[in-house]
Amino acid sequence: MKEWLRVFKNGLSIENPLTILMIGLCATLAVSTQVQGSLFMGIAVIFVLVMSNTLIAMFRKVIPDEVRIPIFIVIIAGFVTIVDLFMKAFFPPIYAVLGIWIPLIVVNCIILGRAEAFAYHNTVWLSIADGFGMGTGFSIVLVGLAFLREFFGSGKIEFFGTAILKMPAGYAPPTILMMFPGAFILFGFIVAFMRWLSERSAARKAA
Amino acid sequence: MKSSPLNLILSVLIVCVVAAAGLAATYSITAPIITAQDKAAEEAALKGVFPDAASFKSVEPALLEKVQALAGDTKVDAVYRAIDSAGAQIGWGLKVGSRGYGGYINLVLGLDRDGKVTRVTILSMNETPGLGTRIKTEPAFLEQFATLPAGFTEKDVKGLDMISGATKSSRGVRNSVSATAIIFEKVLKDAGEVR
Repeated sequence: MKEWLRVFKNGLSIENPLTILMIGLCATLAVSTQVQGSLFMGIAVIFVLVMSNTLIAMFRKVIPDEVRIPIFIVIIAGFVTIVDLFMKAFFPPIYAVLGIWIPLIVVNCIILGRAEAFAYHNTVWLSIADGFGMGTGFSIVLVGLAFLREFFGSGKIEFFGTAILKMPAGYAPPTILMMFPGAFILFGFIVAFMRWLSERSAARKAA
Repeated sequence: MKSSPLNLILSVLIVCVVAAAGLAATYSITAPIITAQDKAAEEAALKGVFPDAASFKSVEPALLEKVQALAGDTKVDAVYRAIDSAGAQIGWGLKVGSRGYGGYINLVLGLDRDGKVTRVTILSMNETPGLGTRIKTEPAFLEQFATLPAGFTEKDVKGLDMISGATKSSRGVRNSVSATAIIFEKVLKDAGEVR
């Protein structure tokens, strides 16, 4: 398999930032109340991750070891602020949903973690593949969790104010799904499910 | 790379300067659009609370300061005179905000000349989707403020219904409305333009 494809796939499966590495959970639990917001959060994270990975990999040979973390943070914060301003200017309804969670991408461990663990030691192309892989892996789990929470927790899925999927009338949504404890419980089930999948495929390979 | 104190300082400095330049460029592109949008949203909300008004005029700074001094924990961003097509003042538009569960809930609230609430709309908030946001998605909550009598007091506001499960968010809206009751009673009642 091509090296970049392997790196990309790692982010989706065996190194998935949410279900395996378990980083960036704080934002995930907070944002995953709505599919619409989660989708845009995913896009924002992919953008920031790919851009910061690219820049850091490009300059990895000239960034001195001792000050690499401050430099990473400035680069990441720069891109996050760009996303923040652009979203505010061109997608105000989305910005209204995500609010504070966009600036907080700066402190999302996934981004600094990948800069430190991957981009600082690998070529630009591989780092881009890693950024896309990690970002996509994050987004898939985030949107999946948001789908379960919004559909079962509020009884419908809304996109820009119109419901595209609805529970039958008379369904009383359990509010706990909308709150953090519900998110934690649901997230636990998702992790367990992923575990089960990977164990099953490992067992098949062994057989 | 071999590091010396000089290149440590230089590398951080260069990164910061480049980042600042990039952000300044982005800001200069987006700032006018963001301001225009905020203004448009505010105007639309004002029109929403006063459909009959032809224009809105900001009050003089001295009056705004007086109002802000009375508001307590509620912040008052702006007060407008609602003017009808004949040029007479028909009421007040207030942009106010009180803390809910997730920061300030910013409202636009209309008061007629007698101090009766015409309508309350939510301009922006950061409440929990599906819980706190029910203050907006359940219209009955905001509509009940328009049933308050002219010259209502804090006590009248406390008599209104809250949304169970969204207590803090409901209280945020209520606090703003209570604050405007005091503001009207003490300042706005006698500050209307007479023609």
